[in-house]
Amino acid sequence: MLLPRFDYQRPRDLSEALGLLAQAGDQARPLAGGTDLLVNLKLGKVTCRLVVDLDGVAELKDVSGPGEAPSLGALLSAAWLAKQAGGLGLMGLAEAGGVLGSPQVRNRATIGGNLCTARPAGDLCTALLALDARVVLAGASGRRELPVEQFITGPGLTAIAPGEILLAARPAPGATAGGSAFEKLGLRRTMEIALVSAAVWVQSEADGRTVKAARVALGAVGPTPLLARAAATALVGRPAGTEAFAAAAQAAAEAARPIDDHRGSAEYRRQMVAVLTRRALERAWSRALEATA
Amino acid sequence: MAQQFDVIGSRAPRLDGPAKATGQAIFADDLHFPGMLHGAILQSPHPHARVLSVDASAARRLPGVKAVITAAEVGTIKYGVSPARYDETLFATEKVRYVGDEIAAVAAVDLATALEALSLIKVEYDPLPAVFDPLEALAEGAPLIHDEFPGNVCAEVHQEFGDVEAALAKADYVRTDSLKNKRQDGGFIETHCAVAAPDLNGRVTLYSATQVPHYVQRNVAMVLGLDLSKLRVIKPYVGGGFGPKAEATPLDYCSTALALATGKPVKMAYTREQVFLHSRARHQFIHEMTTGVTRDGKLLALKHRAILDGGAYTSFGIATVYYSGSLLGGPYRMANMKYDGLRAFTNKPACGAQRGHGGVIARALFERQLDLIAKELGIDPVRMRLENMMEVGDVTCNDLNMSSLGMRECIEAVRDGSDWGAKKGKLPRGKGIGAACGFFVSGAGYPIYRSETYHSTVTLKVDEDGGGIKVLSASAEIGQGSDTVLGMIAAESLGVPLDLVRVESGSTDFGVDLGAYSSRQTLMSGHACRDAALMAKNRILGSVAAELGVDPADLDFKNGVLISLGPVLDIAPLRTRYRKEHRGWPNLPDGEALSFAEAARMAFLAQGSIVGTGQYKPPQLGGKYKGAAVGTSPAYGCSAQVVEVAVDLDTGQVRVESITDAHDCGRAINRTAVEGQMEGSISMGLGEALFEEVKFDAKGRVVNPSLGEYHIPTIQDMPAMKCIVVESDEPNGPFGAKEVGEGAIMPTIPAILNAVFDATGAVITELPLTPERVLRAIREAQGKE
Repeated sequence: MLLPRFDYQRPRDLSEALGLLAQAGDQARPLAGGTDLLVNLKLGKVTCRLVVDLDGVAELKDVSGPGEAPSLGALLSAAWLAKQAGGLGLMGLAEAGGVLGSPQVRNRATIGGNLCTARPAGDLCTALLALDARVVLAGASGRRELPVEQFITGPGLTAIAPGEILLAARPAPGATAGGSAFEKLGLRRTMEIALVSAAVWVQSEADGRTVKAARVALGAVGPTPLLARAAATALVGRPAGTEAFAAAAQAAAEAARPIDDHRGSAEYRRQMVAVLTRRALERAWSRALEATA
Repeated sequence: MAQQFDVIGSRAPRLDGPAKATGQAIFADDLHFPGMLHGAILQSPHPHARVLSVDASAARRLPGVKAVITAAEVGTIKYGVSPARYDETLFATEKVRYVGDEIAAVAAVDLATALEALSLIKVEYDPLPAVFDPLEALAEGAPLIHDEFPGNVCAEVHQEFGDVEAALAKADYVRTDSLKNKRQDGGFIETHCAVAAPDLNGRVTLYSATQVPHYVQRNVAMVLGLDLSKLRVIKPYVGGGFGPKAEATPLDYCSTALALATGKPVKMAYTREQVFLHSRARHQFIHEMTTGVTRDGKLLALKHRAILDGGAYTSFGIATVYYSGSLLGGPYRMANMKYDGLRAFTNKPACGAQRGHGGVIARALFERQLDLIAKELGIDPVRMRLENMMEVGDVTCNDLNMSSLGMRECIEAVRDGSDWGAKKGKLPRGKGIGAACGFFVSGAGYPIYRSETYHSTVTLKVDEDGGGIKVLSASAEIGQGSDTVLGMIAAESLGVPLDLVRVESGSTDFGVDLGAYSSRQTLMSGHACRDAALMAKNRILGSVAAELGVDPADLDFKNGVLISLGPVLDIAPLRTRYRKEHRGWPNLPDGEALSFAEAARMAFLAQGSIVGTGQYKPPQLGGKYKGAAVGTSPAYGCSAQVVEVAVDLDTGQVRVESITDAHDCGRAINRTAVEGQMEGSISMGLGEALFEEVKFDAKGRVVNPSLGEYHIPTIQDMPAMKCIVVESDEPNGPFGAKEVGEGAIMPTIPAILNAVFDATGAVITELPLTPERVLRAIREAQGKE
């Protein structure tokens, strides 16, 4: 459990950071909050010659201004999201940030770190998936964007290329026109990896009754956070309320692909997907109405 | 009229508070010595295997390695906790019996080198079939873990008091219930650590994060073949123990052996994962109980069977399997009790003692069953408990003597403090309230090894200039506050303010003290401390009385000054002598009465150094039957709790919303410390009830050896707690005091189970109360409705 020896660099801008990564190739690891990297280095699960601390790259903490399409710099912390994302109209993301880890972990853990770690139970990944977010990647050959759904390719696996840095997460431009919510089930109330989580986003028609658009994302019930499209289909065009939410919850449970492990059985997880989805929908819908009003 | 105290019963701040709050307190891992080496232990990756060969030659050749020790170097003297079951050797020779069993140890210039050296030790194993489940281990044809213990039976107990079958035959209502828990971890913050520092005269000082310096000294000396005089054990500040630090660890043995081999100080510490591998924490218990009562709820008989999953070695296990039965003797009147307990060996780390040693799960099932009986008979469960309660002077069927018992007061306090009458049976579905009682020893009646030794000695020395008092005790302050308690007992006994007292503890150089286990130090070390203080005081008063020409029996100290119970004193000549010695000093005593400092100085001038000594051992306790010693104690603490829960009927999540807790601690020496133990016990009980489970994979490896994946409660999981201190006056305790450290955990688990039952009707027979398990039980209960 000793931290192995490595070189450490703290570049002051993005081009310097990209240059360091390009130079060291697969011997370099970017450092954001370090909540996973440092643990994995100690455990010997990750080895590297160079750690590139991104903390000095100011651009990675940028936030879009009021009225702009939401854009969240990769180094914004879970604690920041818990406090500020609600004000941006992204309550589901704020809730996810607020239940990630403990206060200390939330102060360190970042959006970019959570996305690149790509755990099936990743709280921020699941919440961003429900917001139809895209990630912005920068590399030696320029910038590109990918939907979160395509970015996360497997447990711990992403589409990031060697030498690339994740710059920002961008919820869909229309995300703030709807309401979102995040539900997480664990044994205890904090310092907990989700047994199941559900993130939803819904938008109301101008009538304040009919669901105009919806997205339901599920955490810890598949190799990656899952988008339950059938759950969204069960909502769109129908009047919001108990019946539609129950149908969506049922569809979400059917879309889940949980496994048995030492934390819980697949069957229990599937049942809880329905409970959490319904609860998240109820809360998100009232927020959607506020966003419409 | 009740006795009045000046120090005892107060909320005096802890003596170690400033050092701990500012980070200046020194723990074992903070120790550094010039030239210090770092050690590490090679542990078996197999749960059960023959060890064919150990080749450490490459490790020895690695630059920076100073010593490698294996069984060839340190020998194979067997040790354990109870001499009746010495079944461990420091390093495996023929077999390893669990993932983590020790093979060798290394000392090197730094930890990285020591760890690299471990990787160079070649061990040839021949894997054997392993068994992890206690019932499978006891079945015919199971792999045999110790040749000496056929059938993998580590220990068995068969006791009967009265005639259980006859009493059950007469009972109006008989029911059988079962409960099993999961292996627990102590969850202390400081992992085990030991630093052994040799001197140039062949002696070693071992600094160990332990609860029991005395037993560490004895065991390490025995295993390494040292004279006791060559080994001093010092316990620095310790970050929690809860039982798993109540025996010598391989770190203690290895660091001492490596220090002797190299002539250098050697530090060794467990990682968190190794704490789980060393374990010595709460066993898994499988209990079945059959209880018979009359139709009005009078307890007639209990038939009790228990199987314990002991892991690969005995550790405290014999005591554990006895305690599981004996502690049900109280606090209810019950004339007939039969107990059949069996501890099985399995290929997992050895279990040992943990807060509420042996009794916690037995208590949980019994208190759970009382509620099920009360419900069947239509009796309020609190009333049923009150009607069966023992009283002061009662002796249990297994010969435990209730010399004080505030049990009734505890139940009434939590009943009234929780507004039980307004809530029981009146809460909406999903909300529930439950009550339970508990009962525990205040110090084991006998030492772990057979001996007539004193259990505690204290030496108290008054400063030669009279200004202060030093208490020297070998007891173990492990965070529970024993130094503060001893300081307060010394101050009260001497009649001086607490700030005159300094407490030095935790060194085997200071005497004998069996240590911090079985909730013994307040009563036992406290007795010795009080007697030492009284001896010193009497010596001082003797000199002062002679100088003043009065009867010493007419003199005493109160709040740091001399008082007369008889004639008016003329202190002027003594004060004049004291002042002459302190010419030029500001702030000399000038009150009407002679100060303690002046009096103590006069005594020194007359007699030389003023030293008082005290010692304590319990009187002969208990019955004559086999195993009668386990469960005996000079006194018994007792407690009651009422728990309120909210259960999420869709997810099965249990939220403990409030706990009203009452504990009879005899007389509270320090009220804040008593409440601290009550709250800490609730936290540990709540964790065991709701979250905690050490899990293993199919190869005997711990799946969750971290505090991230092994869930102890966080502050957010804790309920509102109302702690009510009930004071009885225990005749066998110093100033009437007895335990609170462990007994306070007893009611928590059953009260939570009873509250969940009240909220949902769910009968749960397996801990912890994971949401999944609770939801399943809720649905099963609904299916039966």
